[in-house]
Amino acid sequence: MAEQTNYATVIDGQMALPYQYLAGATGSKFIVALRDDKKILGIRCEKCAKTFVPPRQTCERCFSDLTDNWVELEPTGEVTGFTVIRYPEPYQPKKTPYVLALIKLDGADTPFAHVLECGDTANAKIGMKVKAVFADEPKDSLLDISHFEPVDD
Amino acid sequence: MSKKKSDQELIVSRQILSIPQRFSTGPVMGRFLQELRDNKRIMANKCPKCGRHQLPPREVCAVCGVEATDWEELGPEGAVRDFDIVYYASPDPLTGTTRDVPYVLCWVNLDGTQGDAPLWHLLDVADLAKVRRGLRVRAVFAEERTGVMEDIKHFEIIEGPSDDI
Repeated sequence: MAEQTNYATVIDGQMALPYQYLAGATGSKFIVALRDDKKILGIRCEKCAKTFVPPRQTCERCFSDLTDNWVELEPTGEVTGFTVIRYPEPYQPKKTPYVLALIKLDGADTPFAHVLECGDTANAKIGMKVKAVFADEPKDSLLDISHFEPVDD
Repeated sequence: MSKKKSDQELIVSRQILSIPQRFSTGPVMGRFLQELRDNKRIMANKCPKCGRHQLPPREVCAVCGVEATDWEELGPEGAVRDFDIVYYASPDPLTGTTRDVPYVLCWVNLDGTQGDAPLWHLLDVADLAKVRRGLRVRAVFAEERTGVMEDIKHFEIIEGPSDDI
């Protein structure tokens, strides 16, 4: 180019992404029980002797229909794995840094991910005994459990 | 699956995620946008080999593959080459909200255009029956301009006779 004028600029913008998530019949019953009764429900496959939390309609091993095999679980469990979230992004459930843990509830065979509040993030340990703390306000989501916290043995 | 109608409460989560994004204009689109903002001029670039305009401008002529370095002002009046009347309220990618429908999108070949280089924009029109090819229109610029495509607010109809194309 003969005349070198730099016209290049960067335009900052926001892009909006509307979405909807349908929890389905099984997921809805799970969330409503968390919200209204502060109870954690799972679904059990007797054939495989496995209890799934969060619940699912079909056994992932034998494909049996488990629709009505509801069981109630204790709000206590054990950390089977965790990570410390340090990078802040919008839509995260807590302020960074926080611990996202895999928690296997007592009586369940599958762990599920939730926030672990244990003071300093360095306190998080695999094998830690934890219990669910329910949210004060209804959330209509898995965040009807606010977080898990350690319990003393 | 059970066929009977359920009176169970079903959970639906509806949200609009807002995602930050950055668009780098590059020098050619950058000049086009700055001319809109500072001078209310619609600038096309022109291929030095075949003479056709490109609007919005691109660095290289899409036909000849040579760098298109010449610039010319086009319009701001022109003729509708094609149009869409949009009835489906698709979400605005910038807000996630839906637009009022129906609205009209038009492709305008601005006066002075060599070849076929229509600019795509909204056409502000009260009576949809008036919209047709060849309609004479003019660009209406926004009062507050920030160097984006919306610096042209929309096109409006120039009253009077117009030629069909």
